[in-house]
Amino acid sequence: MDMLHNLTLGFSVALSFQNLLYALVGCMVGTLIGVLPGIGPVATIAMLLPITFHLPPTAALIMLAGIYYGAQYGGSTTSILVNLPGEASSVVTCIDGYQMARKGRAGAALTISALGSFFAGTVGTIIIVLFAEPLTQMAQKFGPADYCSLMALGLVAAIVLANGSVLKAIAMVFLGLLFGLVGTDVNTGAQRFTFDIPELSDGIDFAPIAMGLFGIAEIVVNLEKKMSRSGAIKVTSLWPTREETRRSIPAVLRGTILGAILGVLPGGGPTLGAFSAYTLEKKISKRPQEFGKGAVEGVAAPESANNAAAQTSFIPMLTLGIPSNAVMALMVGAMIIQGIQPGPEVMTKKPDLFWGMIASMWIGNLMLVIINLPMIGMWVKLLTVPYRFLSPAILLFCAIGAYSLQNSTFHVQQVAMFGVLGYIFVRLGCEGAPFLLGLVLGPQMEEYFRRAMLLSRGDPMVFLQRPISLGLLITTTVLLILMALPNLRKAREEAFQEEEG
Amino acid sequence: MNRFLSKDFLSGVMFIAFGLTALYFGRNLAVGTTVRMGPGYVPHMLSYIMLVLGLIIAVLALYNGGDTVEAPKWKPITMVTIGIIAFGLLLETTGMFPALVALVFIASLGGDEFKLWEVLGNIVVLTFLCILVFKVGLSMNIAVINGVW
Repeated sequence: MDMLHNLTLGFSVALSFQNLLYALVGCMVGTLIGVLPGIGPVATIAMLLPITFHLPPTAALIMLAGIYYGAQYGGSTTSILVNLPGEASSVVTCIDGYQMARKGRAGAALTISALGSFFAGTVGTIIIVLFAEPLTQMAQKFGPADYCSLMALGLVAAIVLANGSVLKAIAMVFLGLLFGLVGTDVNTGAQRFTFDIPELSDGIDFAPIAMGLFGIAEIVVNLEKKMSRSGAIKVTSLWPTREETRRSIPAVLRGTILGAILGVLPGGGPTLGAFSAYTLEKKISKRPQEFGKGAVEGVAAPESANNAAAQTSFIPMLTLGIPSNAVMALMVGAMIIQGIQPGPEVMTKKPDLFWGMIASMWIGNLMLVIINLPMIGMWVKLLTVPYRFLSPAILLFCAIGAYSLQNSTFHVQQVAMFGVLGYIFVRLGCEGAPFLLGLVLGPQMEEYFRRAMLLSRGDPMVFLQRPISLGLLITTTVLLILMALPNLRKAREEAFQEEEG
Repeated sequence: MNRFLSKDFLSGVMFIAFGLTALYFGRNLAVGTTVRMGPGYVPHMLSYIMLVLGLIIAVLALYNGGDTVEAPKWKPITMVTIGIIAFGLLLETTGMFPALVALVFIASLGGDEFKLWEVLGNIVVLTFLCILVFKVGLSMNIAVINGVW
C-alpha cells in the first residue's frame, strides 16, 4: 500500500516535536489574526516570510499552512460574537452567526462552526492525499510548452476571479511578470533593470515586495479608517441542541463538497467557497425565511466550505507548482526562499516535506478545535486591544524581518517603497493578487517559453501541436471568451457586489 | 465629475508609465530572434503589452467615466513610510533600539490618536519582545545599541 506508506512517513515527520511546535505556533498565529479584524492571512504570511528563512523547510511550510487554515477558524469567532468579519471568508458567517448569538446561541454557533470546519478540514486533507499522486504523475509528462500554457491558464483564472475590472487585472498580471524580470538573465548573464544596484542582480526579493504590497499597504488603509469596536456577546453553553445538530449535519456535508471543489480551481479559495455555500443553502432550504435571522445552516455550510477550500487550494500548488491564490503564491515564495523549486518534483525528491506537510494539516485542524473552543474567552479579550498598539508593532516586525533576510537595510527600504506602490494600487482599485501571481510565475514562465521556442526552432505553433498544451490553451481561451460575454460579466459583477455589501 | 481623476484612467496612466519606463531602461538589451531569444525579447514584449493595455484602460475610462479616486489621506502613508525608512537608516548605524524608537514613534504619529504615555509603554514592551525574539530566540547579529550591547 503506497498511500499507507506515504501517510506513515507523513505522520512520523509531522509528529516530531519540532514540527508539532511549529504547527501549534502557526495555528495560534492564524487564530489570532483571524480573530483580529483588519489583518488577514495574506498580510501575515507575507510579513512572516523572512522569519521562515531561519527555519528548516518543513517546519516553515507547516507553520505558514497553519496560519492560513487557522485564520479560517479564528475569523468565524469574530463574525459570530462581534458581527465583524475577522476574515474575508467569514463575511457571510456574520449574517446568521451574529443573529444566533443575539438569541443566546453563540456557544452553539461556535461549536458548529468549529466542528464543521474540522470535518471539512479532514475531508480536504483526504482529498489532497488521494489526488496528489495521480496529478503529480500527470504533471511529469509536461514539456516546456505545456508548462507555459498551464501557467497561462492559472493566470487567466486568477483574473476571472479577481474583484473589479478584468482589464486592470490582466494589466496587473503583466506588471507582475515585468517585475519578475528584474535581475540577471539566466541564459545570457545580462543585467536587466538592475540600475547598477548590486542587490538587484539576483532579482527583487519576493519577501520585501509581498510585505510592502500586502502588509504595509493593509496597515495604512486600516489606519485611515476609524475602527469601531463593539462589545462581544458573552458565550454561555457550547453545546448545540439536538435540533441544531440535525439541521447542521447535511449543511456541513454540502458545504464541504462545494468548498473542496471550488478550492481546487485556480483563482478559487475560501472566500468564494463560503459565499457559494451560503447561497446554495438559502436556495435549497425549506425555511428560506429563517436565513438572516439566525439559521444554523447559514453558519454550518459556509464555515465548512471555507475550510475545505483552504485545504484543497493546496492541491495545484503542491502537485503542479501553480499557485491558485495569493496565499499559495506566498507559499511558493516561501519554498523558493528555502531553495525548493515547487512543482511535481517536490513529491518525489522531498517526500518527507510533502507528506509531512499534508499530515500536519490534519493535526493542525485537530489543534484548532482545541485552541478555539475551550479557549474562546482568551481570544475575545484580544479584541479589546486597540489598533494603535498593534500597527507599530506589526510594522516593526516587518522591518526587522526584512532586514534579517540578508542582513541588509536595502531590503528595509524596499519594503517602504513597495508599501507606497501597494497603497497606490489600493487607491486605484488595482488588485494585488494577480500582480503577485505574475511575479511568482514570471521567471519560470519566461524560462519555459524560451525553451519551448528553442526546441521548436522559433515556431510558435508548438503550443498548439502538443495535445496537453492545446487543451490548456483552449480552456484558457474559453475562460477569456466567457468573461467577455455580457451576461456572464453581469453575473460576475453581481457576485462581487454581494461580497462587498 | 472630472474624468481625468477616475480610478481607471489613472490606472491606465500608471500602466503606460511602467511600460515606458521598462522600454527606456531595457533599450540596450538585445532582443534576439524567436529561436534564440536575447535577454531583451520578453522585456520588450511585456513593455509593449503594458503600453497597449494601459492605453485601452485609459481611453475606455475617458469614455465611460467611472469611480473618482478617493482623496488620499496623507498622514498615515507618509508617517508609515518615513518610519520604515528611518528604521532602515538607523539600524546599522546606531543599533536596534534607536531604530525601534524612531519607527514606533513616527508610525504612531500616523494614527488618529496619539498619547505619549501609550507610545512610550508600547516602546518598552516592543523593545523587550524584540530582544527576546530576535536577539535571544533567533540569535540575530544586530547590536541593540551600537558599541554598548
